Amino acid sequence: MKRIEVKLSLSVVAPLLDVIKSTVDDLGGSLAAPSTLRDVDEELRATWMDGLLASQTGDCRTLLALFDREFFANGVIAFDESNAEAIVRACAAVRLRLRERHLKTLEDDVLESGNVEISDLPEPQRKAFMCYLFLATIQELIIQHLDSSIIES
Amino acid sequence: MKVAQTKTVTTPGEHTETELALQGLWRVVVLNDPVNLMSYVVMVFKKIFGFDEPTARRHMLEVHEQGRSVVWIGLREKAEAYAFSLQEWHLTAMIEPDEKN
Repeated sequence: MKRIEVKLSLSVVAPLLDVIKSTVDDLGGSLAAPSTLRDVDEELRATWMDGLLASQTGDCRTLLALFDREFFANGVIAFDESNAEAIVRACAAVRLRLRERHLKTLEDDVLESGNVEISDLPEPQRKAFMCYLFLATIQELIIQHLDSSIIES
Repeated sequence: MKVAQTKTVTTPGEHTETELALQGLWRVVVLNDPVNLMSYVVMVFKKIFGFDEPTARRHMLEVHEQGRSVVWIGLREKAEAYAFSLQEWHLTAMIEPDEKN
């Protein structure tokens, strides 16, 4: 089984974990992506939403589990085919919610291009943006190294 | 002993129309969002639809540049399943009737 281990700087990443955790808590009963179920009847819609929420909750739990005792001991997180799919999806959910809650003032094209002067952002937004970038980096790493495991699973 | 009486009421118009709409072809549409990475969207398309890299990239670019891409057309039940999978990956996906058919 292919496994990637990444050593992170504890002093940089540890402060971001509070943002990730509070965003996961915020996601609790709601979906990260906007609901677009106009053509689906009410009964199916309820089942559909429950399924998506259960999936999102499970994925977020897997993301948080990355930052365990081992991470706080040596700064290492590990991905393999057992957790990659859930983590890459949870990162998407948390990034969407971060955008909605903290980065709404950034224009779409600015956010997409990444041309943001971090030092110009006010403190709570700066931390949220750092977190947004950190989660994108995790996604890129997983896609780069475990893309085929995810696609074939 | 009381015998139950049955009475048949038919309302064909509305019902038939609904059935036909459900039986027709449906599109699965993905809408743009400024958050999800291009590489992520490509991977999701490859995983869910089995697209090869150029097809997945073409749809991703269509979403990015035109705001939406029709990624699949077919029967409603399968369209719903695809839309659910796309939403599970946090893409903004919807189904709509394919008016050409």
